[in-house]
Amino acid sequence: MKLPQGGKSELTFVGSLFILGAIIFWETYRIVPPELNLTISPKVFPYAVSILLMLLTFALAIQILRGKIATPEGAEPGKRIEKTDYKTFTLVLASILSFMLLIERAGFVIAASLTFFGITVAFDNKRHLRSAIISTVFITIVYFSFTRFLNVQLPAGIFEGLA
Amino acid sequence: MSSFNALMEGFVSALTWSNLAFGLLGTFLGTLVGVLPGIGPALAIALLLPITYTVSPASALIMFAAIYYGAMYGGSTTSILLNTPGESGSVITALEGNKMARRGRAGAALATAAIGSFVAGTIATGVLAFTAPSIADLAIQVGSADYVALMLVAFTTVSSLLGASQVRGFIALSIGLALGLVGADLQSGLTRLTFGSDAAMEGIKTVPVIVAIFALGEALYYASRLKSQGWNVIPMKGKALMTRDDLKRSWKPWIRGTFLGFPLGVVPAGGSEVPTFLSYSIEKKLSKHPEEFGEGAIEGVAGPEAANNANAAGALVPLLALGLPTSATAAVILVAFQTYQIQPGPTLFLTNGDLIWTLIASLFIGNALLLILNLPLVRVWVQLLRIPRPYLFAGIVTFALLGAYAANTSIFDVQVAIVIGIIGFLFRRFGMPITPLILGLILGPNLELQFRRALQISAGDYSTLWATPLSKVLYLVLILALSAPLISRLMKKVRHKATK
Repeated sequence: MKLPQGGKSELTFVGSLFILGAIIFWETYRIVPPELNLTISPKVFPYAVSILLMLLTFALAIQILRGKIATPEGAEPGKRIEKTDYKTFTLVLASILSFMLLIERAGFVIAASLTFFGITVAFDNKRHLRSAIISTVFITIVYFSFTRFLNVQLPAGIFEGLA
Repeated sequence: MSSFNALMEGFVSALTWSNLAFGLLGTFLGTLVGVLPGIGPALAIALLLPITYTVSPASALIMFAAIYYGAMYGGSTTSILLNTPGESGSVITALEGNKMARRGRAGAALATAAIGSFVAGTIATGVLAFTAPSIADLAIQVGSADYVALMLVAFTTVSSLLGASQVRGFIALSIGLALGLVGADLQSGLTRLTFGSDAAMEGIKTVPVIVAIFALGEALYYASRLKSQGWNVIPMKGKALMTRDDLKRSWKPWIRGTFLGFPLGVVPAGGSEVPTFLSYSIEKKLSKHPEEFGEGAIEGVAGPEAANNANAAGALVPLLALGLPTSATAAVILVAFQTYQIQPGPTLFLTNGDLIWTLIASLFIGNALLLILNLPLVRVWVQLLRIPRPYLFAGIVTFALLGAYAANTSIFDVQVAIVIGIIGFLFRRFGMPITPLILGLILGPNLELQFRRALQISAGDYSTLWATPLSKVLYLVLILALSAPLISRLMKKVRHKATK
């Protein structure tokens, strides 16, 4: 059986959602509810959601196998789906992950500047020095306006005690 | 106290210097973020949420109201000049308005959009002020079983009317519902779906999910198809003004759009997509220049823009009176309320009456400010479109991560945000709508609560769920909404055969 272009990856996506449904079902089955006199068990909703998710993804998988695949957002229905630009995607994702890893270790200014800079690089900005300076200046301004004027606490990290 | 008096008192408290300043700041920020390409009102508000963490509830809500309307004004500017609608409600504006701009009529398109938004927003806010309290009065008698039915209707309409595929809408909804289940169950204390994580005990927070699914999801999706995207800002000649003829052609569509958009915002009809499309097709039918449609007809901007704004005001009715958001944007505003421990719903007008009337009054004020801010200053906003894309996305992503982290100073929330961002990317890639997920996450726990409450009262008798007349009507609506795509498919088939 021949799937239209993009069908295989969509099937993988829908398949993983089905597995997610199965995991929710299993996890719900596994837990032991407390001995309370409740009319409706706290397991009812998770069961319902997991069964719904499995049924729906199964139905969608059949639709895909019949050739009715999704139209990516912003694309024309029926047209060729262009290849994912993995390089840019990975760079953006890595920049986002670096924020998570650095925010509490190195502080907001460093984490966010790096994320900001990383994304400008990912989106094909060639003037790296310029964008590094802009990133740092912009994030420093954001940091001080949030911590000083809006009283939102952000980790100072390695600059602890400096400002 | 009558609604009118209450509203006047609302004006008194909204017109204090500090509240006015917050309103002005909100309109400014709303327009600013709304103008940025690809950012709709829902994301605009979500991104600006952290700014309000430390502001008093009244000032924060005033600011939100202003951001809400401001983001829509800004969004139409971008739709017209750049053809990148930030949300489904401005798709039509982009379609017809961008064609007008290409023909050198950008000024008229911007003017009819801004003035139309003002007219629609003002009328609709007026209707809101006088209907919401009476709906809330009625809603006090709405029982748990009716709430269950109401939420099911909202879920169904949002999932099946948005986007191309009903199944995909419902899958998105179930993912949202599953996210809403994570954490300790309030009634039994049972920990569900945490997979051993302590941080997950408190549940998945809504702010990180919302900023991530919009901002991170959009940035990742955009990155994945970087090569195929083109961008060009249409230069604007002259001022944002309308000729007498433009005005003559615009005012009727404004009014029609308003009265189409408002009621469709009040009932859960799946957001602003339906009313704007309806308004467009009505204007096309009624126009004396139907041949201009698709080439840049001013009616095609005026009507849908008015419908979009009136729809936004209409969506505030179920939000304030029932605590039931019917669009992604309304859902984000609900979250903003909840940050202040304020639960919108029937009792809101009693418990927080002053606050709500101040909010409604500030909607009027915000609308007026926006008209002033947008028409003469439109050129200033247009400059924003010149921000290079790398910086734009870098800014959006960093602000989203900041918002996710700062809400609870929690690294777990950032992790959640990143996972949700990837889901947001996958949803876009595989044509799944986002709004049902958000509604599922926010309303799911509420649905479960009301469901259990109803059955506890009836001692486990399920027939209580459809015992009241209101719930019967609602389930009928639900069946209709479910079968709507089926019916329209059948109609198409019949028509197809007839033409053959």
